[in-house]
Amino acid sequence: MGLNKFEEINSIQIDALREIGSIGTSHAATSLSSLLGSEVRIPLPEVKILEFNKAVEELGGFETISAGIISLLSGQINGMMLALFELEVINLLLDHMMGKTVKDYSELTEIESSAIIEVGNILISTFVNALSNLTGVKITPSVPQIAIDMQGAMITVPMAAYGNQSDYIMLLGGTFLVDNKEIPCKLLLAPDVKSLNYLLYRLGIGE
Amino acid sequence: MEKQTIGIADMKLARTQGTLVTYALGSCIGICLWDPLLKIGALVHIMLPINMEKNRISPFKYADTGIRLTLTKMEQMGAKRSRIVAKIAGGAKMFNVPGNGSLGNIGQRNIASVHQVLRLEGIRLVKEDVGGSAARTLFFDVATGEGTVKIYGNVERKL
Repeated sequence: MGLNKFEEINSIQIDALREIGSIGTSHAATSLSSLLGSEVRIPLPEVKILEFNKAVEELGGFETISAGIISLLSGQINGMMLALFELEVINLLLDHMMGKTVKDYSELTEIESSAIIEVGNILISTFVNALSNLTGVKITPSVPQIAIDMQGAMITVPMAAYGNQSDYIMLLGGTFLVDNKEIPCKLLLAPDVKSLNYLLYRLGIGE
Repeated sequence: MEKQTIGIADMKLARTQGTLVTYALGSCIGICLWDPLLKIGALVHIMLPINMEKNRISPFKYADTGIRLTLTKMEQMGAKRSRIVAKIAGGAKMFNVPGNGSLGNIGQRNIASVHQVLRLEGIRLVKEDVGGSAARTLFFDVATGEGTVKIYGNVERKL
């Protein structure tokens, strides 16, 4: 039978997803750490089932400009992963990788954008690999794509894709701490309802 | 002057004066409906083209039920369908995702559905700012029927 809607999920299932998320994001933090040469941690990640408008507000508001890197997941799970980097994070990354910073997103050159996509790609693939190893579910992430725009419009991409039967979306992710400083970098996993059911089933807590 | 914010899958009405605003439309579409005589205006923020939900708890999430319900509410306030005009903005493709899957063309499907529903309801579409790859914030002034579209890094455009 399984869930018909995200909002039907129970607290045991949320805890299990948080645990998976924790392992996925800590792997991603380790990759980021070796890339930056700084200590990167991610406090206990959050699993939230939120109404559309609440989800956008929770993630920092509709009009906040971010670089968003998206990857579509296929295989035994369908979903999307979205990494959101604000300018502060981009500068931290560029400074470590290329020894330069920018004042505005518009100053980003093609090489710098590619570097940002690559960081997003590393975070997303590390997360997906951890998830896949842990559950034995085959997941193939697509080539990531970048957009620099109002983040409200980027967060609605998974909402529109899976919004047909629910006004809620599941977000699994967290905010990174680099050298104990909170950086507004968010990593989100948004599966469709069917894939969420499959994931819960593989974890032995499906219905 | 009063400003009202319209969320995703949401609609608000104003009469005589006031600004209706909806933020960060990506593939979603903001539909401004206006009766110029009575200055009754509405802004709907739809996310998907067609309502196929069983119990239809969110009519404003969809172009078809969203536009129709808004028209009914405007008529209840005295607006005449023959006078109502529409302006729309949104329907962008935020990410250049390869392939032509359902994700890639949600914006285009929304535009097509909004066009069709307006046509079926006999509402004249007077202006639109749709497609492309940029997010839009849409302001709608109920006193003048004028819309403004704000795009990141760009000058504001009149709608």
